[in-house]
Amino acid sequence: MSGWLKAASKACALVLLVALTVAILMGATAYTPSLELRPLAEFYLESTLNVYDKSRWAAAPEAVTAMLWDYRGLDTVFESTVFILAVVGSAALFRFSEASLLSHGSKPGERLEEGLSIIVRVVTRIVFALIVALSAAIAFHGHLTPGGGFQAGSILSIAPLLAIAALSRRFVEGLGLTKNSCRALEAAGFLFIASISLLPLATVLGGLGACIIQNQQKPWLPPPGFSYPFELGPIWTGGSLILFNVAEYLAVSSGFTLLFILLALPEEFFRGLMRR
Amino acid sequence: MIPQFVSPFLELLLAFSLTLALILAYLAIVQRDLVKAAVLSAGQSLAYAFAYFILAAPDILFAYIPVAIGIYTILLLYAISKTERFEED
Repeated sequence: MSGWLKAASKACALVLLVALTVAILMGATAYTPSLELRPLAEFYLESTLNVYDKSRWAAAPEAVTAMLWDYRGLDTVFESTVFILAVVGSAALFRFSEASLLSHGSKPGERLEEGLSIIVRVVTRIVFALIVALSAAIAFHGHLTPGGGFQAGSILSIAPLLAIAALSRRFVEGLGLTKNSCRALEAAGFLFIASISLLPLATVLGGLGACIIQNQQKPWLPPPGFSYPFELGPIWTGGSLILFNVAEYLAVSSGFTLLFILLALPEEFFRGLMRR
Repeated sequence: MIPQFVSPFLELLLAFSLTLALILAYLAIVQRDLVKAAVLSAGQSLAYAFAYFILAAPDILFAYIPVAIGIYTILLLYAISKTERFEED
């Protein structure tokens, strides 16, 4: 390592130490966000849950989800299309994608012993359940709290990834997550997104004023307008937002899981198939 | 006047996490052991995730943590398991 590089890393460490010390010394200084907003942000924050003027509202307190799936819904629908096409394209590149470990190899007694040590295996089983619960909470509360379909789906896809690393691919296949079921779930999620987007357009035939990817009724469309129900009894659904979030959750998690399952085929098993 | 979005305390925390990210990225580049380099890279992602949290972007944080710390690291480790662990000159 040359001299100036050593000096630079020492300087970096010094800056780090000073920043850490001052941060600790300043302690519990409260965080107060600025009150000044740009006009666009002001518009979204004012209209997203404006119960007094429902002409431009999205019926959800989470402005980011409202922007993603309502105000800028078309962008997000096409982004989901890009993701799904990417998964389909990369899944098409794999050989022996139909191979299943479940019907091959070891006896049932050995299967329980597969993977890393027993501590890791037990902890992974506990964490697996926690990850599934957390991701479901993020997906179903996506219109109320930060997060949404994509975030929850990628968090859920960590669960089979951990299970493959700590247990084995057989465990994931035993849960029913094979190539075909993942593809079916992904296609179902995408069809769900497409039908939620197109349903308002279909109601035009019934005489309602609506446009594509519409959540709540708009003042510039001919009345009576179409809107998704934004509350079901005590449950606030945010119109189409919860439906979009759940559909995206399904599509993203199964898409990532499909890729991990295909990647995790053991090399010896793969070579055995090649020799055949 | 430039609006102040972040308080001085959080600016310091931001400086801390971004400096940490810089140092971890440098260490990941010079590291010869590829497994250690992947873990250092995950540490860099953690520092970035902290920066996202300070910048009040929880939506990005929720997507960034599973992708950059979980999926990315495990895919790198999987790729390393197919080749040699130590980088040679």
